[in-house]
Amino acid sequence: MSEPKDISPPELIKDRGTLHPINHMKDYIMNLLISFGFEIVDGPEIETEEFNFDMLNIKKSHPARQMHDTFYLEKKSNLLRTHTSPVQIRGMLEKKPPLAFISGGKVYRKDDDATHLPMFHQVEGIYVDENVSFAQLKDLIYKIIYSLFGEGVELRFRPSYFPFTEPSAEVDILSKEGKWLEILGCGLVNPVVLENCNIDSTKHSGLAFGLGIERIAMLKHGVKDIREFYKSNLDFLSQFK
Amino acid sequence: MKISYDHLVQYIQENPTIEQVSDSLFQLGHEHEIEGNIFDMEFTPNRGDCLSINGLLRDLGVFYTIELNQDIYKEKLDELQLDFENQLENICPQISFLKLEIDQVPELYKNSLEDYFSVLGLNKNNFFTDVSNYLSYETGQPTHCYDANTINNKLIFHEIESDEEFETLLDRKISLKGKNAVFSLNNKVINLAGVVGGKSTSCSTNTKTVIVECAFFQPEAIIGKSVKYDIQSEASHKFERGVDRECQDKVLRRFIKVVAEHTSIINMSIVSYEYEENKIHQIPVNIYKINQIIGIDLSENEYLNHLKKLGFVIQDGVIKVPAFRSDIKTQNDLAEEVARVIGYDNILRADINIPKNDKHNHKDIENKLRYFLLDHGFYEVINPPFVGISSKDAIKVDNPLDSNRQFLRTNLTNSLLDNLLHNERRQKDSIKLFEISDIYTLNNGLHKKRKLSIIASGRVGLNYQDFSKKINKKYLENIFQEILPNKDFDFKILSRDSLNTKIKNEIVSLEVDIDIFSNDILSYKEKSKPPEHFHKYSPISELPCSFKDISYSIKDYTKIKDLQDLLLNFKSDLIKDMFIFDYFKNEKLKEIKIGFRFIFQSKEQTLTTSQIELIYNDIVNMSLKIDGISIPGI
Repeated sequence: MSEPKDISPPELIKDRGTLHPINHMKDYIMNLLISFGFEIVDGPEIETEEFNFDMLNIKKSHPARQMHDTFYLEKKSNLLRTHTSPVQIRGMLEKKPPLAFISGGKVYRKDDDATHLPMFHQVEGIYVDENVSFAQLKDLIYKIIYSLFGEGVELRFRPSYFPFTEPSAEVDILSKEGKWLEILGCGLVNPVVLENCNIDSTKHSGLAFGLGIERIAMLKHGVKDIREFYKSNLDFLSQFK
Repeated sequence: MKISYDHLVQYIQENPTIEQVSDSLFQLGHEHEIEGNIFDMEFTPNRGDCLSINGLLRDLGVFYTIELNQDIYKEKLDELQLDFENQLENICPQISFLKLEIDQVPELYKNSLEDYFSVLGLNKNNFFTDVSNYLSYETGQPTHCYDANTINNKLIFHEIESDEEFETLLDRKISLKGKNAVFSLNNKVINLAGVVGGKSTSCSTNTKTVIVECAFFQPEAIIGKSVKYDIQSEASHKFERGVDRECQDKVLRRFIKVVAEHTSIINMSIVSYEYEENKIHQIPVNIYKINQIIGIDLSENEYLNHLKKLGFVIQDGVIKVPAFRSDIKTQNDLAEEVARVIGYDNILRADINIPKNDKHNHKDIENKLRYFLLDHGFYEVINPPFVGISSKDAIKVDNPLDSNRQFLRTNLTNSLLDNLLHNERRQKDSIKLFEISDIYTLNNGLHKKRKLSIIASGRVGLNYQDFSKKINKKYLENIFQEILPNKDFDFKILSRDSLNTKIKNEIVSLEVDIDIFSNDILSYKEKSKPPEHFHKYSPISELPCSFKDISYSIKDYTKIKDLQDLLLNFKSDLIKDMFIFDYFKNEKLKEIKIGFRFIFQSKEQTLTTSQIELIYNDIVNMSLKIDGISIPGI
């Protein structure tokens, strides 16, 4: 029986943790957008009606402002932001065009089922300059989606409605199974919103877009139930190394 | 809203297929699913004008030739003498009433009316209500039918602010609260305006004389009412999105015609009230601006032709917006109209070049911290902020989902403790978690703090070096020494006394402000990297798992690799994980002891002892075929 002198112990496998798949997806998208020239701006999750709705041309009568859609805090003195758009409003109030901001983070809506959660994540971007057009918005969206899903993916732009953009669009991609899947919302910044931020809308125009991080992560990872992301189960989390 | 393909196509001369109509609808921005011959439409909230056959055909008119051969009653009508008072002219600037008396209530329905109920599989109520519902589907204008014999006094449209019980025509009693715009008769509410009528004045299957109310209500006065009182109302859905102020006479004349197709009308009279003239919105023609917004080069002629097809009137360099398009106010709105007609997908991309910036990523410290924790086996979690128990400075949610989520958390540790227990209940014996999040508190104003919280319990690691070591304060202090040697961290031992668990492992936690970490940590060289691919997720099992250990004694050291290769390549759907938990080289006895732990779990069933034994025996038998390897005790 031989005993080689250089026998080494088995490889010591130290478990490394993982980033949460939603945060990882958010970072991935934000870094992609930074490479396109966008700059990160941050803002609070607790917002006022003024920044979350009024400044974004969401009228007092809009259904999103009802108690059944928005979480209000402390006798309606504040609310949990329903989107990351108010961050961009704050950014536009501070800086003059040309400007290109992205903001990402948690947002809240009063939903709770297999496809909607009261808390989810968004990344939104805005670019304001002279003569920004819908055709340029299309170019940017193609670049973002090709980077996320590959150059071969087929896209579809559909007219849609958001109070803060006009024209507005929703963008779908064609899945391998031949189904159109909604990926993001976008549009040209409504001139009313630019004026609210003291930007001359006769001189400047802007584009804006927003993505739901959970939606993209579910598609990329094949997660069927959105609730899986927030059970903090190690068997789940350890799959995203 | 469900709309029948057959009901649309009967008015389209080109007779397109359902797929062609579907493509046209998508191009126009009208999302839908197709169920048989029915379009299940999901309209955007600004397009209330499309909530009907005629409304949708108006939009489809940009692609097809539409011929609406819907007959209306064209003769002069007597004026209805109705005792009516409108105290809310700002909310209801235009309203009409039609009174009809019929000879007999028809037993069978004909033509479009019968087709509406049979094709869409809807239940009938009574003749007049059925005609009203059909016309709402055809024209988009909701009408309300009162049994004329019940309207025996002055009808008043006004606002009430008192609590009042109201029985709807659907036999439901609701308590009206706060401000409501209502129709009242004899000091009693008989109709919650724009939402639902009352039982006391509703039509029945015997009703022969009806008063049909046809109104425009400002959307702001209707929004939220159906949700507030939990009423499913097609009418409020339409009024909330805005109806056509100028259609009332046409709709009521169409009402007469549909009734006349079914029975003889003995008497009819109409009255209309317009309290405030409807202002036509006008926008200057500016093709330069439209081309600039979209990024195309359209001629003015083409542009105006597109708008004309959508019902816009062009006169003296001005575009007059039709009454049913209350959503159109600016050049950007018009640009969207043109873009829809051209097709968003037909607009060519124009190169975009955003000036690059070299801004510093202000989250560098936070990211460094995250990778430092990953290197030490910590998993990042995200928890929702809602909690059920109030604590000092907690912010209260006015409208929580339930009582367990009525406050915002004031720390992250409690969420992590829940996460830890969740994993312990799933037989995890080495748990290390962290979360970074904003925390909001109320203390003489709103305060925001960005926090890091970590929690850890159980074995230090699942490898032969760390398996027998337990996580404690010292372990965590040593880790943090590595990144910030000059800083003391206040690690806490969390008591298990109030936790529903038999596990005894210490729970160590830390919660600190992110601000305390300085640029010093940027010099830390992380080993972990972000994943290179987006891994496909394999659904996890919620069934219990079991483990089995096998300890080998190896005299022929050259066989260690054979053993490892054999065990690592052993395939079974029921083995979830395997690792070496023990390794010891006994120099005196010239022997290596090596222990493997196998974790068993099925995705379909709770495993029995015999199922596990079967696999275990396979492993043992195969490994013992390697010379120079033994399993003490076997």
